[in-house]
Amino acid sequence: MSLDWHAAWQALIHHPLFGVGITLGAYQLAIAAYEKTRWVFLQPVLLSMLAVIGILLACGLTFAEYKDSAAALTLFLGPTTVALAVPLFLNLRRIRQLFWPTLITLLVAGVVATVLGITLAWVFGAEQIMLMSMAPKSVTSPIAMLVANQIGGIAALAAVFVMITGIIGAIIGPALLKRCGVHHPAALGMALGLTAHAVGTARALQEGEECGAFSALAMSLMGVFTAVLLPLAILLWL
Amino acid sequence: MLLRGLSWLVLCQLLGAALNVLLIPILPGPIIGMLLLFVFLLLRGEVGEPLHLASTSLLKYLPLLLVPPAVGVMAYAEDIFADFWAIAGALLLSLLISIVFAGWLMQKLIDRQQRREDA
Repeated sequence: MSLDWHAAWQALIHHPLFGVGITLGAYQLAIAAYEKTRWVFLQPVLLSMLAVIGILLACGLTFAEYKDSAAALTLFLGPTTVALAVPLFLNLRRIRQLFWPTLITLLVAGVVATVLGITLAWVFGAEQIMLMSMAPKSVTSPIAMLVANQIGGIAALAAVFVMITGIIGAIIGPALLKRCGVHHPAALGMALGLTAHAVGTARALQEGEECGAFSALAMSLMGVFTAVLLPLAILLWL
Repeated sequence: MLLRGLSWLVLCQLLGAALNVLLIPILPGPIIGMLLLFVFLLLRGEVGEPLHLASTSLLKYLPLLLVPPAVGVMAYAEDIFADFWAIAGALLLSLLISIVFAGWLMQKLIDRQQRREDA
């Protein structure tokens, strides 16, 4: 009898759980590699991303198909975002003590991060649509995608810039900040959450609970401020 | 226990999604849900054991959940390559400057506040 290898292979790679399967596998390998080497460039998100892209290209699958078959994982991003309220609340006392430093940093550094990104891209000659997709790069992807849409950018590109910013920030952020004399866990967390959103917050949680709490705080406030203020600012400016 | 906590999180997310459509289309549902849960915790004054369990379990896997959106980079490879240097330069430079600036500013403000409290 002849086995139909081809049909079996197709059934495997087009299974509605294939995306979940390769993501889980890649993530666990990435975690193992990171734990073993502790090398900063082996950030689990980056490594798993590269592994998954490699598998998809090798199997000839598109991102759209992967997105559908990994939907079971993506669905949990919502409740996990909601769950960030818990570390935020638990560290509320500390945040209250540092209320003014937190608020001032948020407003000043938030504006600097956004304006600097647009200005530099403009100076380097990127197109208008790229600029508008890049403007919300420092906030978590669901907000960034909405905002980019409103100000005339491409939502999916905004998500990509958000991810790149987050991953680079998580990789080099902590070491860079410590080298620059930033030692307070609250300051580390603020910087990570403000510029590198959820990926930065995931990294900040590894540094400790206080660092994670400030990162979650910075991420959510930066998101709220950007969602409300950026479209207004663009509207008034253009 | 875990299920009860998860139900709270999902409930907040669902309420957030409804409010997003009804009142505040500018904020995504999960963020509204987080603000709702935060206000609820403020009113209640403590985090119940089920909620604490569910949120720590989910947050532990936050990096895993971010992998699928990150893979989205591959769908826009061409557009990114077209403007590659402008994008890469702007992203990297602005990130480096703003992350150091944010950390430095916060650290200075904390130091100042502590000095003031000591004085």
